[in-house]
Amino acid sequence: MSNSSVGQSLPRPDALGKVTGQTRFSGDLSRPGMLHMKILFADRPHARVKHVETGNAQAAPGVMAVFTARDVPVNEYGLQIPDQPVLCGPGSDKPNTDIVRCMADQIAVVVARTESEAEHAVKMIEVDYEDLPVLTDPLQAMKTDAPILHPDRGDSNICVHYKIHKGDMDAGFKSADVIVEGEYHTPVQEHAYLQPEAGLAYLDEEGRITVEAGGQWTNADQSGISHALGMPDDRVRVIYPAIGGAFGGREDLSVQIVLALAVWKLQQPVKIIWSRRESIVGHGKRHPITIRAKWGATRDGRLVAAENELIGDAGAYMYTSNKVLGNAAITSSGPYFIPNFKTDVYGVYTNQLPSAAFRGFGAPQALFMAELQMNKLAEKLGMDPAEFRLNNALQDGLTMNVGTPAPGPVSIIQCIHAARERFQWNKYRRRRTKPHIRRGRGFAAGFKNVGFSFGYQENCWAKVEIHGDGDIERVIVHHAGAEVGQGTHTVMRQVAAQVIDYPAEKIQLHTSDSATQGNPGSASASRMTFMAGNAIKGAAEAALAKWKTEERPAIAEYKYLAPRTTPFDKETGHSTPNFSYAYVAQAVEVEVDIETGQVRVLRVVSADDVGKAINPDLVVAQIEGAIVQAHGYAVVEDYRTENGRVLTDQLSTYLIPTIRDIPEKVDSVLVEVPDPNGPWGARGLGELPFLPLAPAIAAAIHDATGVWIDEIPFTPERVLRALGRIR
Amino acid sequence: MTLWQNYLRPKTVAEAVDALVHAPGPALPIAGGTDLLLDLKQGRHAPVHTLIDLTFIPEMTLLELRGDELFIGAAVPVNRIALDPLTGRHAQALAEACNLIAGPQVRNTATLGGNVAHALPAADGTIALTALEAQAEVAGVSGTRRMPFTSLFLGPGKSALDKSAELIVGFYLPKTGKGQASCFKRIMRPQGVALPILNCAVWLEREKDIVKDVHIAVGPGGATPFRATEAENTLHGQSFNSETLTRTLESLLGQAQFRTSARRASADYRRHIVGGLFMNVIETAWKRAE
Repeated sequence: MSNSSVGQSLPRPDALGKVTGQTRFSGDLSRPGMLHMKILFADRPHARVKHVETGNAQAAPGVMAVFTARDVPVNEYGLQIPDQPVLCGPGSDKPNTDIVRCMADQIAVVVARTESEAEHAVKMIEVDYEDLPVLTDPLQAMKTDAPILHPDRGDSNICVHYKIHKGDMDAGFKSADVIVEGEYHTPVQEHAYLQPEAGLAYLDEEGRITVEAGGQWTNADQSGISHALGMPDDRVRVIYPAIGGAFGGREDLSVQIVLALAVWKLQQPVKIIWSRRESIVGHGKRHPITIRAKWGATRDGRLVAAENELIGDAGAYMYTSNKVLGNAAITSSGPYFIPNFKTDVYGVYTNQLPSAAFRGFGAPQALFMAELQMNKLAEKLGMDPAEFRLNNALQDGLTMNVGTPAPGPVSIIQCIHAARERFQWNKYRRRRTKPHIRRGRGFAAGFKNVGFSFGYQENCWAKVEIHGDGDIERVIVHHAGAEVGQGTHTVMRQVAAQVIDYPAEKIQLHTSDSATQGNPGSASASRMTFMAGNAIKGAAEAALAKWKTEERPAIAEYKYLAPRTTPFDKETGHSTPNFSYAYVAQAVEVEVDIETGQVRVLRVVSADDVGKAINPDLVVAQIEGAIVQAHGYAVVEDYRTENGRVLTDQLSTYLIPTIRDIPEKVDSVLVEVPDPNGPWGARGLGELPFLPLAPAIAAAIHDATGVWIDEIPFTPERVLRALGRIR
Repeated sequence: MTLWQNYLRPKTVAEAVDALVHAPGPALPIAGGTDLLLDLKQGRHAPVHTLIDLTFIPEMTLLELRGDELFIGAAVPVNRIALDPLTGRHAQALAEACNLIAGPQVRNTATLGGNVAHALPAADGTIALTALEAQAEVAGVSGTRRMPFTSLFLGPGKSALDKSAELIVGFYLPKTGKGQASCFKRIMRPQGVALPILNCAVWLEREKDIVKDVHIAVGPGGATPFRATEAENTLHGQSFNSETLTRTLESLLGQAQFRTSARRASADYRRHIVGGLFMNVIETAWKRAE
């Protein structure tokens, strides 16, 4: 084909605007007559709001309105279940919406003529609280005598419990020659996207309440807003301007409902921009999980049994905990065949900030445990860790821990080989530089489902128009999938261009508007290339067929339905939970300063099976970005709280990696084992390179120093403590 | 709500003091503004009536030799201090400290006066000036006076200056003579923009292998910039070898009061790493003094 574009590193259509500052993010938008909003957040983690006194704020200069719980028609929201009040306080029909359960809860909003007037007035609101006992530890919160945070959701704070059970555990462990037991702790992580939450809302030309704010799923935002306002979906419109990063943190609503509420009441445009502090306190975080594990293997290096218990802190509200922890359950075996397997996964409500979706979606936590268990077993067996993984790798036809085979082809073996070769694993020689500097290498692998699934029928909508007479003059692609920086708009064009044989750069994209487009599903779970790719491919093929039968213009809509999946069986977890997986293996080299405890990552080789790299440069960029973020998770970022309050609520105290921290070299190996259901064989990628880095670094620290560190992050103090150099 | 009403650019120190004293509302001097403007914008500092910009006062932006001393105006950007050959020659520890403050953009505009005026016990510039035995020139309504550098500090974030009537004009440092040298280093996460976990500056004078004189400063080693006087006494007049250095470090550890900061480092960690840092700094200064 003359316009072949799949597999080409075509430039991003948004690149020029972003580097020249022309691109408009939600914070850059404005409208004539626009008012400004400021939110009053709760200033304590658990309390009953007895009274909200707004009189002084209402009388303050420039103030147009102050809204509280009384003003919200249906005072609840939540992506999975509506367990969070939009505004906490007395006056709602729904019981217990006067209870603040975490510092991210919102109490009131002020709308004023200027931002500083709103800021001034919000401080004049007086809230009368009755403090309640604060639960900060999920292990305490799951005890039967703990106070119940959501009494309307049952008599326990355990909000999620998944069980997977396969085979005979006693017999399995009896046949083991070596057993490794461990307890692991993974931390909270802040998304720290470049753009803090912001939005502009107004009435559009048809009088619809229109919210322009970055998100990850237009239709979910739309129905969350309309539910809280007690309106039909078509009275609300959600448009995405350019989005400054998401990583899962924009799946749950932040400013959208209160903006819509204010526009509805005042009939005037309203805007809000959160500060970095408001962003850090105001949105969910990665689940911290405590994991106990016991794994056994035979002398010849075969896994025979593994038993895990994962206790995740869900925080104050459900958000996507049920989905995140489902993925943690699946990935808690690692990409290995284990004949006897048992996992219990719990999610527990506490008064911490809600735990939310974050790149990897439960897999980084589970794999930190699984991959360290593998490395420790390999050490006990005196086997090479890559070789030990190859011995036990999942393969086509072998059953996963849920009792059914993984959809093929399973490519973890190819990834392990690719990472090992590029790293030159077998030729590695430890170089000594200074007496206090120790070097070592580490290996880890991982896998991740593509899409939500677990019985949910995954779907994705697209529309393609072909205009012209004799020749094609114009191609328009309509798709609402969120461009959160990952490059999905580029891929959408390439897919349509490939089918229609038309230059990709000339294809017009109409993006992310719930009023004109069907449901794209979320830009998460590594699903957008797979789902949007199939949807646009289907629509483009249908439009092209019409074009060939002389239909002018040739317009076709298409809804892609992914292969069916089934939910976990309640007792055994037996299921076909997913229709596609992607696989990854990484080898790293680190340097540990045993005087300061500083860990430096010298080199990362990441071999990712992407099925088919639709745009290889974008694939490499995704891998490098994920490695930097995972390096922050493993080594740099150190989230601290005190009794439910965030101590690290600025980027000056919550340090994220800079150019001076990141791994010195990232070597991306693109493995391409096509998925039969993916567009041109593509699998999902966005989360994949994040997954094995923390356990690979932990293994390398062990290789360098001889100590295992079972808790992330590997801060200098934690390293020195493990080395016995400080208390 | 505006963060200030009036912005003045006095041309002399006397004009600046006059403006400070006679402002009709709360007034503050401003130089680089890298902390102050953020504090005002983010509501950590109440709005003020008058901001007095010190960067147009020639006296305060000078960096020059005056007799036996080096003078550094309080409004000189730290990047200039880091790069100027005069500081390299006569105050190497200060040049090294200034080169590590924040990131490049901040260094281009932040000033040494601002670094000191915050009265933080571990500010990089402050620790270097402590070891270099600087003197501060302070201007008030009755004229200017010199103060020993460490007398500027009362406690963490508490300066001895009367902020409603006094300004730091600049700093005087003794020139570096034969056999004298200094060094500054710090320990922090690699990313260059956060506060240090620990820093250390040493100035010394050697005669062959004898330590004739030594000043040691460590931050944070107490509520105000910490001068390890007991360690200095231990090393004074001794020959420079591993045995005396070990005893010097013991004295330092005996006197310093490390504390745990919830967001950065524990006291235990600081006690552990100070030894390696101190040895590294003093050995570098010793070699430089050769």
